[in-house]
Amino acid sequence: MHIHLLDPRRYWLLVVFIILGYGFWVSPHFKEIAAGVALFLFGMISLEKGFKAFTGGALERVLRRSTNRLWKSIAFGIGSTTLMQSSTLVSLITISFVSAEMITLAAGIGIIMGANLGTTTGAWLIAGLGLRVDIAGYAMPALVFGVVMLLQRSKLVKGLGYLALGVGFLFLGIHYMKEGFEAFQQAFELSAYEVPGLWGVLLFTGIGVLITVIMQSSHATLLVIIAALAAGQITYDAALALAIGANLGSAVTTAIGGMTANLGGKRLAMAHVIFNIMTAAVAIALIEQMGWVVDQLSVLMGIQDDLLLKLALFHTLFNLLGVLLLAPFIKQLEWALLRYVQFTPKSRAQPLYLYPGALETPASALTALRKEVGHLYDNAHDLIAHGVSLRRSVIASDDSLTEAVKKTHRIIPLDVDDVYEHKVKSLHNEVIAFASEIQGRELSEYAINQVYALQQASRDIVEAVKATKHLHKNLSRYGLSSNVPVREGYDDIRLRIARVLREIRQLRQQDPETVTSLSLDSLRLCMEKSGRRFTSDINRMVRSRRLSPAIATSMLNDEKYASEVCENLLEAAQALLQTGTLAEQAAEGALALDASDIERMASAEPDSPQPDHTHGDEKTAR
Amino acid sequence: MATKKLLAKLGRFLDADRASQRKEIDSIRKVLKKLKHKERDLREKLPKAPAGEERDEIAAKLEVIYAQRRKGLDRVKELRGVDKPEKGEGKAEDQIKDS
Repeated sequence: MHIHLLDPRRYWLLVVFIILGYGFWVSPHFKEIAAGVALFLFGMISLEKGFKAFTGGALERVLRRSTNRLWKSIAFGIGSTTLMQSSTLVSLITISFVSAEMITLAAGIGIIMGANLGTTTGAWLIAGLGLRVDIAGYAMPALVFGVVMLLQRSKLVKGLGYLALGVGFLFLGIHYMKEGFEAFQQAFELSAYEVPGLWGVLLFTGIGVLITVIMQSSHATLLVIIAALAAGQITYDAALALAIGANLGSAVTTAIGGMTANLGGKRLAMAHVIFNIMTAAVAIALIEQMGWVVDQLSVLMGIQDDLLLKLALFHTLFNLLGVLLLAPFIKQLEWALLRYVQFTPKSRAQPLYLYPGALETPASALTALRKEVGHLYDNAHDLIAHGVSLRRSVIASDDSLTEAVKKTHRIIPLDVDDVYEHKVKSLHNEVIAFASEIQGRELSEYAINQVYALQQASRDIVEAVKATKHLHKNLSRYGLSSNVPVREGYDDIRLRIARVLREIRQLRQQDPETVTSLSLDSLRLCMEKSGRRFTSDINRMVRSRRLSPAIATSMLNDEKYASEVCENLLEAAQALLQTGTLAEQAAEGALALDASDIERMASAEPDSPQPDHTHGDEKTAR
Repeated sequence: MATKKLLAKLGRFLDADRASQRKEIDSIRKVLKKLKHKERDLREKLPKAPAGEERDEIAAKLEVIYAQRRKGLDRVKELRGVDKPEKGEGKAEDQIKDS
């Protein structure tokens, strides 16, 4: 117990509050900066919430189409950043897209690359026209429009409201941060740090990063650099290094935005940081060569005397070089991020029934273990229901599941990895630990069997969730396809899982004295029949050219995942429902239909109408 | 008296296999009873269910219950090693045939 008392995580919030409180008391500037950061993060949360309102709809289709190829996602990043004049905002919005699984991680990386290139148009505008888009000016109207839209009933309008609020708060946050740092800005006497050679480049790059991190805008840094260069405060070479630093610094803003995002968002933020660090490294290593290329190009363009435009050209060139160098390796980068950037658990599901006292007697330990596996099943039930885009309330109701599946018009956004880590894996770990603890004690044969069965049930539940993860990926892509056979196929898959969830739920709610695990056999038979029908339907549609072999293969794979989900849920339910004595369990085992029984019954009359039992059923009595 | 007790013990020992068979038959009967209740509930629901999906589902469940009860009866027969059904099971079998 003392370990918990000493755990610093229990007190970190208090420590943070004390530090912040002290900061607010001591410095009004700090208060402004902290408020800026808070508004900025809140803006990110609102943006993500807003984009979630549009998942499964037109926006998703547009986004998917505009980012399904690398060149398209890069072009999308360039275009949107040129329009918005803020790579930070585009990066943050992209994180929201990836977090909501509206676009893939690879497409997100492409957009970020494009945004880095698009932001260089700002340097041209500042250097060439002396313009700078003041985003803070848009904050107030965005907030007002946002709140008005938030008060409306329509979900879509509300979603738009959250988007407007998100943008407003982001702008306001950046504005407050800039205001807060104004005092610091005065202190930057850049000419004081002139150092020749590589050290000079590294030093000015560092300064560029620092200014950008503090001001939260690479545009603002470029403004400072251009102003300093125009005033002769710094040399042209130092300005180039500062521009590299400004680029690198903008990744830090994205990293802050990634903090509030889910696993996908965090991976994208990481990709942004990696991309910017690599671009900066290449630019620093080749700064002299690039300077020469800029000189040659500026002669061709007739801007050799304008240092400001040459700086803008350099900024564009080194970002372009970064994109060209890294674009061929996006798939590898995505793979590495998926492999190595894993979730760090924060709020795990706590076991409800497993506590040391429950180990006192075998009976209490078994009851606790059974209830906890039931708790784990409930968590998995919710996840899987959402995984097939059905609300828990629909599964729990008596409404027609076929209708509910048919009427689905949006795929529920779900980060299966995230929920798995929070709600399933942590509990599974606890179940396994507790079961091992029980097995270390003296137990009857009955108890040993029960513990083994429940431990196995816990593993089955985990397997069902893992299969859901694979299924959900394609379901998000094809589940609401406009191609009727595809939509029907996925509807069938969803319906099958929903039926299993509902049936098991109903059985678990019945009196344990009257319920028998034999009831699960009818579900097994139903699954077998559906699987056969599904495969023959697909074959027929491929033959008649209504379905391409490529999509048919995906559908068959997904049907396999759906079968895995159902089979594992049925196995887990079997263990949860078997509460009788050993002899009763053996009797149920003797009566249960085995694989050959199910196969025989499923193949008996696949498409014929069901016999009318009200008038007798000779077939089953033969 | 002691001899009588010993003989009784010996009798129980020789009958051990039969006792476990009896136990298994009892357990199967218990499960058959649960199935019978379930079947009765489903039979009541069947005419009330709207034609189509729900009705087919109930019919399929009934079909499975028949198959399970059939297996149970076969197992009981096998345990007894007799072809002639006993009181309880004979009734259950007749019910399956009649239903």
